[in-house]
Amino acid sequence: MEVAGLPISPSQRGKLISAGYTTISSLTSLSPHHLARDLNIPEEEAVQILGAAASHNSRLDTSDGGHSIVNGAQTAWDMFREEQSSLRITTSCADFDNILGGGINCKEVTEIGGVPGIGKTQLGIQLAVNVQIPMGLGGLGAKAVYIDTEGSFMVERATQIAEASISDMLEYNNHLAKQNRVCQVKFKPSDILENIFYFRVCSYTEQMALINHLEKFISDHKDVKIVIVDSVTFHFRQDFEDLALRTRLLNGMALKLMNLAKTFNVAVIAGHIPAQIGSSCTGTRMSEMHT
Amino acid sequence: MAVTPTPESLLSLSITTRKIPLGCPIFDTFLRGGIPCNSITELVAESGCGKTQFCLQLALSAQLPLNHLGRLSGSSLYIHTEFPFPFRRLQQLCLDSPIGGNSDNIFVHAAHSAEQLLDEMPKIESFLVDSQSRLPIRLIVVDSIAALFRSEFDNTPSDLKQRSSLFFKISGQLKLLAKRFNVAVVVTNQVVDFMGESGSLNGLRIGNLGSLYSSGRRVCPALGIAWANCVNSRLFLSRNEEVIGAEISSENAGDGLCRRTRRRLYVLFAPHLPESSTEFVIRREGVFGVNR
Repeated sequence: MEVAGLPISPSQRGKLISAGYTTISSLTSLSPHHLARDLNIPEEEAVQILGAAASHNSRLDTSDGGHSIVNGAQTAWDMFREEQSSLRITTSCADFDNILGGGINCKEVTEIGGVPGIGKTQLGIQLAVNVQIPMGLGGLGAKAVYIDTEGSFMVERATQIAEASISDMLEYNNHLAKQNRVCQVKFKPSDILENIFYFRVCSYTEQMALINHLEKFISDHKDVKIVIVDSVTFHFRQDFEDLALRTRLLNGMALKLMNLAKTFNVAVIAGHIPAQIGSSCTGTRMSEMHT
Repeated sequence: MAVTPTPESLLSLSITTRKIPLGCPIFDTFLRGGIPCNSITELVAESGCGKTQFCLQLALSAQLPLNHLGRLSGSSLYIHTEFPFPFRRLQQLCLDSPIGGNSDNIFVHAAHSAEQLLDEMPKIESFLVDSQSRLPIRLIVVDSIAALFRSEFDNTPSDLKQRSSLFFKISGQLKLLAKRFNVAVVVTNQVVDFMGESGSLNGLRIGNLGSLYSSGRRVCPALGIAWANCVNSRLFLSRNEEVIGAEISSENAGDGLCRRTRRRLYVLFAPHLPESSTEFVIRREGVFGVNR
């Protein structure tokens, strides 16, 4: 939200913008004294500006605006509203979507577990394609990051899924055309493949480095709306004598992924392989971290 | 200066992954071109079903120059853990197989234990790098992975933990080689008899088939679920005796019935293949699919 929308005088607005306070959120958690000094204005005027920003920020809370601009605070009602309006990525399977409440949720880390061959990779590829369904067809029209640790990503399978998805979109489009609401589908499978950023990592150090780098990568590619890690734990089951270290690293990585999901409104899918009874218990460690 | 990771373009990775064909049209259609490079494929079967036959034939066909799927013209590294290596069968295949091929392009290496194999990985890597005097390696066979693990480890928690850690190390290394040199990795695995209720851990369904039968017994792949996580695709070979009628002069079978072995190849799981199966035969000239 721009400061232009605030009910303050034009000269105050000009001072705010020239001092670098262009958005209302930049005024949160600022003391009147600080603002007065930055803008070179009397303190009463600063209080007035902050008051305007505060009442703007919390229209719902009419009693006392001044206290509600604490950084990050959010009412449960806001959270509920936000969750209802949050973006979801369809799995292309009605039953899945039903139990997931409409699809895979952005802003969340979702874990997919299961025995080998159950279809974790297939679901991952499917989501990397489905995130690209254009907005006109109820999708996100976004891009995907695919982090492959196991080498199971097959380009030819991704092409097949992309082709099927395109024919689905065309069919849906024909359906829309009958209601005179046409959305152009100009996809080719190669376009869909082009929008999947594929990383192959061969060791856990590479994986950690990549996850650390993702924040920068996604802020450079704002249209990425899904990050798929297939699978998160493969490399963590090889080389760890020190299990406490492994837990720390995994927890750190899970936190980073959650943070990414929150900050950039992306969905993170972490495929994971189940632990054998009697062997390690990476699985439970990761599961504890998921939201 | 740190190197920032950059994504690979999926378009530059050619649309179809490079595959090593088996040299039999039925198999190659069934497997959509053959065994994929840059991936670990596992062949699971009890002894005598044709695992080694498949591997030997792959080692021959990897040498073929191909027209439409890109030229492979590669040699192969055959790591054998079950002794002895079938030299005579390889020689026979070289002479009789319609694929042709030359045993000079198959490098044979013995591995006696999992630790030894892991220790030799750097050596194997440098062997793959240095390919000036020969065709580049396109195929690594480990025949069989089960033999490395089934003798040395006890059924105690600490041994099992150590064992599964070794699984992941070996498969991590093999996948690294597969990725770096774009080679196909084929490992073979044995089966164990299936015991107990279908709800137990052994009965955990992995892959397309609810239960696997070979030689009339219910079996499941050896090395458990930890190893199953380490491979990209798993194929299962089965063999079943079938009675095809009563025989008049009962010379072969004691009970006067004429029997025939029917072999099938199943896809248990693979990222690029649907659930399917095909029948095959093993002959002097190699393994061949049968259309029925």
